[in-house]
Amino acid sequence: MSFSLHTDGLSPQRATLRLHGRLDAMTFGDFDGGAAPVLEQMGQGGTVVLDLAALDYISSAGLRSIAKIRKLMRAREGHTLLVNPQPQVRKVFEIVKAVPVSDVFSSVEELDVYLDRIQRKVLSGEDEDT
Amino acid sequence: MVLRSIASRLAVWVLAGTLLVVVAGGLLLFRVVRQQILEQTHRESAVLAGDVSHRIQHRLDKVADTAQMLAALIGPRPDDAEPLIRDALTHNADLDGLAAAYVPASIDAGAPDRSPFVSRHFDGSLSVRDLLKDPAPYWTQAWFATGLACATGCWQQPFFSQSRQRRLVNYSAAIEAGGRPVGVLNADVTLEWLQGVLQALNKPRDTEAFVIDEQGVYLAVEGSALAGQRAQDELIAALRGDPAEPIRHTGLLATHANAPVWIYHAPIDGTHWQFGLVVPEERIYAGVRRTFSVALSVGALALLSLTLLTLVVTRRVLSPLGVLTERAEQVAKGALDFELPRVRRRDEVGRLTHAFDRMRHELADHLAELGRVAREQQRLASELEIAQQIQTALLPGAHFLDARCNNFELHAVLKPARTVGGDLYSYFMLHDQRFYIMVGDVSDKGIPAALFMARAITLAKALAPRAQSPQQLLQLLNQELCRNNDGCMFVSLLCGLLDTATGHFSMASAGHEPPVLWGEGAPQLLEIETGPALGLDDEATYSSRRVRLRPGETLLMYTDGITEATDAELRMYGPERMLDCLGRYAAHGDGDPAGYLLADVEAFAAGHGQADDITVLALRWHHAGADGGASMLELTMPASIEAVFDALARCEEQLAAAGVAQGVRGDVRLVLEELMVNMAEHGRPRTGAARIELRMTLATDAVLVDLHHDGVPFNPLLSPEPLLTGDVADREIDGGLGIHLVRAMASDFSYAHDEEGNHLQLRFILPT
Repeated sequence: MSFSLHTDGLSPQRATLRLHGRLDAMTFGDFDGGAAPVLEQMGQGGTVVLDLAALDYISSAGLRSIAKIRKLMRAREGHTLLVNPQPQVRKVFEIVKAVPVSDVFSSVEELDVYLDRIQRKVLSGEDEDT
Repeated sequence: MVLRSIASRLAVWVLAGTLLVVVAGGLLLFRVVRQQILEQTHRESAVLAGDVSHRIQHRLDKVADTAQMLAALIGPRPDDAEPLIRDALTHNADLDGLAAAYVPASIDAGAPDRSPFVSRHFDGSLSVRDLLKDPAPYWTQAWFATGLACATGCWQQPFFSQSRQRRLVNYSAAIEAGGRPVGVLNADVTLEWLQGVLQALNKPRDTEAFVIDEQGVYLAVEGSALAGQRAQDELIAALRGDPAEPIRHTGLLATHANAPVWIYHAPIDGTHWQFGLVVPEERIYAGVRRTFSVALSVGALALLSLTLLTLVVTRRVLSPLGVLTERAEQVAKGALDFELPRVRRRDEVGRLTHAFDRMRHELADHLAELGRVAREQQRLASELEIAQQIQTALLPGAHFLDARCNNFELHAVLKPARTVGGDLYSYFMLHDQRFYIMVGDVSDKGIPAALFMARAITLAKALAPRAQSPQQLLQLLNQELCRNNDGCMFVSLLCGLLDTATGHFSMASAGHEPPVLWGEGAPQLLEIETGPALGLDDEATYSSRRVRLRPGETLLMYTDGITEATDAELRMYGPERMLDCLGRYAAHGDGDPAGYLLADVEAFAAGHGQADDITVLALRWHHAGADGGASMLELTMPASIEAVFDALARCEEQLAAAGVAQGVRGDVRLVLEELMVNMAEHGRPRTGAARIELRMTLATDAVLVDLHHDGVPFNPLLSPEPLLTGDVADREIDGGLGIHLVRAMASDFSYAHDEEGNHLQLRFILPT
């Protein structure tokens, strides 16, 4: 199998999808299928993290799948964040300007820092509301 | 040398002609005059001879008279005979002796008893002797008998007297007594006397005289001792003829022993003798000879003067001609600045001089004009030569060997019909190992064609990197050439693009002759759909044809200078002969096919000459490149996703095995996936199943991929740029990203479509 998907820390607020192998015209169906239940349970304003550390390769078919996730999450006012893209994947992303630079993180630590900041922001917002 | 001048020749011919006339006339005149002189001499000499003979006769008559008188006197008085004879002899000096000889038996008839004979001695004294007492009886002798019979007297034969020792001739007269002869009175005269008589004669100088008796014995010959001798028989015979006829005789005169002489003879009356006057012929003619020699001398002198005069006059008249001749020789050497002889008269020479002067000036003008034209032509020629050098410099070399990987070899030949021509060929390598080849033929010939050719060839090279395919290049080139082309010049062009790694050759034709292709089989024309020639219609489009060159195959492009070459019988070389020639070449093997074909065409057209520019370009595909040009993978698959991904996996394996960098491998995979998935999903043909051909090659610096698909035409290069917002989530429609990725990832990318489908060529540069 040239592609596999693992899901971590599944919650309506936050889910992490680990992509392995190649995401292309042959495998994008597997990805779509694997991601669908995760996305279904995502709540409003949730964050989907795509961990690309093990993704060797992506083609336009794969891009379309990622675009679909982003569209879905945007509709739920959520975020789709990308972590640790490998050179080939990063190159493809850059060529098609697939994702804003602010949504791509080169490491999990960086992502955590970002997520913490968002959390605080949300919390303080809640404080304001209360 | 002297005879070369007209004057000398004229003088010589005048001299010769006059000399001939004078000599002929002189000879004729000489003959006539000589004849007249001869006749006159005959007349005069005959008269003279008669005259002289009379004078001799007169002297002889005196002797005869004396003898007759004495005979008459003695007859009656025989006893007085002796004193009478003595007295007569004393008083007549002519006589040498006198004798009164009696017949011995006649004494009875009154004859004396003695016969006295008185003779004169040398000293003049006289002696008397009695003949009867002579021991030899005289009466028995012939002279006595003759004398006795000769009543009126007659001259006897000459004889030699022993007693007196001299030659004598005697005159005998009969002494009569009683009516009958009783004796003979004999009067002797010496032949010397007769000779003396002859010598005393007054006759012309140089003539001689003789007296001859009837027996032909000379009695006297002047100045000669011939007296007493017998003359030559022929002379004797002649003398017996008519005295009026002069005799021509040779060898009579002592002084002119062998010279011819004329003899005039007359009989001496009272004798049987003849007188002869001898005149040498030379003397007769001497006068006329002298006259003629004088006349000849004068004539010769006159002729010489005439000749000199002719020479001088002719020289004087013709001297300007000599000068003109020299001047003409100078003209021949190119000198025109000289002085001409002064014109004295308006005769032919004067007119010639005038004409010569005019001719010289006109010649000088003409030469100056000619020089100008020649300089102009030289300038044009040198400009043309420079133009030719420039044109030659526009053409690449005649031989190109792909030095990089030895995949192909190219031979070209261009032979303009004039100094510069309108044919062109060109080839050049683009940076991505694609090789452009073109052969073209501009309408018309000469300088306009050459300029247009320069424009076309330069534009082609400039536009080539922009064009992705031959047909696109033709289109761009056509648009450029149509611009400001008021002269409606056009160029037919066959343009080809060779993938130097794979041997794929796509070509497009703008009204050009189809190329020839051969490998193992016979050469054949490769029909191409052609568009209009470049420069005529700026909206023209061109289609292309694509072939895959197999190793050992040769593609030959040419211009109509080959097929339309004509021989002496105006037959065209034609495509059939060309294919035959190339067939022979293909059979026998190696060398330069372009040169081989050109040599054959030249041999064919040897009788007619080259009418049009000739260009041949031969491309031979070796595919020898083992280093870097090796084909890694060749696959043919159905256009399905599964097959595509199998192929991608194999590509990946091959590239990994060849040690190609990870990044490049990813690029290749991405591009191929995008393209082939696209083909599989969208490019299905209306009938049948589509197939995809993939060929991947590893060059030293790049990975080359050829991709063919027999589905619907789709040119990825023409698809619009996708709108990139920076977020894929913004996109309303899918698609377009794949092609964008392909264009971004492949280092180079070309597309062609023909009846076999879509052809894509991709190139991925390897990181160094």
